[in-house]
Amino acid sequence: MGRIFITGMGLISAVGRTVAQNREALSGGSCGISSPELVPTKYAGILPCGEIKISTEDLRHQLNATETGTTRTSLFALHAFEEAISDSRLTPGQLTSFDTALIGGSTVGGMCLTDELYRDAQQTRKGSAYINSYDSSAVMMYLQERYKMRGIINTINTACSSSANAILYGARLIKNGLARRAIVGGVDSLAKFTINGFNALHILSASVCTPFDQDRKGLNLGEGAAFLVLEKEEDIVNKKLYAELTSYCNSNDAFHASSLSDEGDGPYLAMKGALDLAGLAPGKIGFINAHGTGTENNDLVESRAMLRLFNRVPPFASTKSNIGHTLGAAGAIEAAYSILNLYHQEIYPGLNCLIPIAQTGLLPVESYKKISLQHVMSNSFGFGGNCTSLVFSKS
Amino acid sequence: MFYIHQTTCISPQQTFGEVNIKVLNQPAGHQLKVIEPTYGGIPPGVLRRMSKAVRTGVGAAIPFFNQSPIPDGIIIGTANAGLEECFHFLKQIVDYNEGLLSPGSFVQSTPNAVAAQIGMLGRNKGYNITHVHLGLAFENAMTDAGMMIKEHPANNYLLGAVDDISLYNHTLNLLAGWFKAEAFAAGELYELNSPGSIAGEGAAMFLVNGNPVNAIAQLQAVGTVHADDVVTIEQQLKHFLHRHLPAGEKIDVLISGENGDNRLQKYYASCEKIMSDEAGILRFKHMCGEYPTASAMALWLACHIFQKNPIPRHMVKKNLPQKEFKNILIYNCYKGAQHSFMLVAPG
Repeated sequence: MGRIFITGMGLISAVGRTVAQNREALSGGSCGISSPELVPTKYAGILPCGEIKISTEDLRHQLNATETGTTRTSLFALHAFEEAISDSRLTPGQLTSFDTALIGGSTVGGMCLTDELYRDAQQTRKGSAYINSYDSSAVMMYLQERYKMRGIINTINTACSSSANAILYGARLIKNGLARRAIVGGVDSLAKFTINGFNALHILSASVCTPFDQDRKGLNLGEGAAFLVLEKEEDIVNKKLYAELTSYCNSNDAFHASSLSDEGDGPYLAMKGALDLAGLAPGKIGFINAHGTGTENNDLVESRAMLRLFNRVPPFASTKSNIGHTLGAAGAIEAAYSILNLYHQEIYPGLNCLIPIAQTGLLPVESYKKISLQHVMSNSFGFGGNCTSLVFSKS
Repeated sequence: MFYIHQTTCISPQQTFGEVNIKVLNQPAGHQLKVIEPTYGGIPPGVLRRMSKAVRTGVGAAIPFFNQSPIPDGIIIGTANAGLEECFHFLKQIVDYNEGLLSPGSFVQSTPNAVAAQIGMLGRNKGYNITHVHLGLAFENAMTDAGMMIKEHPANNYLLGAVDDISLYNHTLNLLAGWFKAEAFAAGELYELNSPGSIAGEGAAMFLVNGNPVNAIAQLQAVGTVHADDVVTIEQQLKHFLHRHLPAGEKIDVLISGENGDNRLQKYYASCEKIMSDEAGILRFKHMCGEYPTASAMALWLACHIFQKNPIPRHMVKKNLPQKEFKNILIYNCYKGAQHSFMLVAPG
């Protein structure tokens, strides 16, 4: 079976509205985590977030998205989707072809409109314009309708690993001959719903998150979207090849609804499975974009799982210190960052980690470096023990 | 694509444990609600904290972990599992003005809670995924299962679907005009000639693998279409049949997703039109109501029929199939925008 390459990317996050802006911000160690100004929550001044400082109205106007009922989530998705398809120079014919798949991950979907949803659910006579927009499938349905796509369309929700699984799924559709190319990614926007949910779990940090630091205080939520265009090697003519999608694995921790097991079986099996599928020795991985949320539980367990798998843990960092935890979008955004690592042969620093975790002693990469990279791993772990690792390789 | 070896179904009809679908259970008011079993396999402390979708999904799945072969992975389709808890949490946010909230509902509000709980109770660390693409959530899960079996020919997978009626999704769908406002008997669903269907729910689980020996049924193909014009859908259905129906064979039985919504009747009529005159036509939404993964109930019924069980009269729209037959086509449409075809043959 032919190899699968990434020929286009689109990305919007708290540190940039294009792939290029994101790369520049990560290279310079910028942090986009701030006091929220746009999401309506009483925690605005208390819990910092990776908020994208553009109003939903401005975004709608900028994207000329005049359809009724489009939510902030759909608009971020559209923003990243447009950049990705234009970067890959997909033709309208290719977009509407029966063999172009669209696979997305999202957890919040239209629920970014927490208050509107609540009001609509209490109504007895007439719903709002958003009545059909709350489902987590609404985003991919919106893109499908806007671009008249006719291939396999799917939405995956495995919590915080949703879009890593969307990437894995798109690649498998291509390998199984069910699609010739796949546009894969994920999106989530900040919502009163998720802010209160993670706050109720006491895992939100009141300061900027410090992934893998001994004194980490929790995570910051973020928002954004990323899409990748996956194409088969034999179909690609005169295109930029960002990287190869080499391998992937989805495993379950089967331990607890909202925390990982001490030994991190799920993370370990996902990372190991991804190495095994590609026949790669652990030593071949040059960098890991860790899940690294900044919570007590994740960072310790992920560190332990890395120590279990790797004789020498490769350089690693968490970009959640730049943009926060973007939930359903995290897998796709971090995949795009991993691809940038490979394409530009560089690694970006993890921010704010001063003292390594005592039990594991692992310290993330501290500064920007040019480095020779062949294979990069990207980890995404979600509630429900849903763990997925992806491996990208230099093209 | 794969062979189906065992099935379970929790539905508004007597489908779990001792199956009897000859007797037709009637809707309660405007809804067809599942008959919940006693859930013997779930620890009581865990059961108490489960939402209804998680309970029925896990309840239908647990039997598969107490018998051989044990599934190597879990593939679930659901559009709104978690919605009930999601609204509990929303209500807390509003009622307590973002105050001190209990996280229980939040954790269960994600649709992957069903597959996660099955994984946890079944101690299954394999592939675990939740497809949520509304009216094609189960079909996408089926495609996934087909690919997994091709990639890992010796493995067994638990493939399933679950959706439930919660107060809130019922309200949202009622407001959007997808359910009839009046109450009626199950048998009248197809006769009212008005917009909207009846709300329903259910969970169906299938043990699938690549092994034909002693299989109940073979899923030959699944196809999906996003479109709302009848011509496109008819073309796609013809293309699907041309591609997947063995040469010289025809569809013996159509299980139609007809749901009493007169706005959607044109799709079902166009599908019936391309069947042969002798083809039997069965309906099932009067048994389980309308919900995004109702097509899983249709697949369960196809398996039930292939196990030489009599077809109840209340399912027959045309030509009760009398003799041995081979090919069953399931055609389902969700809200006029998402369409699916399944081709099922005996094992």
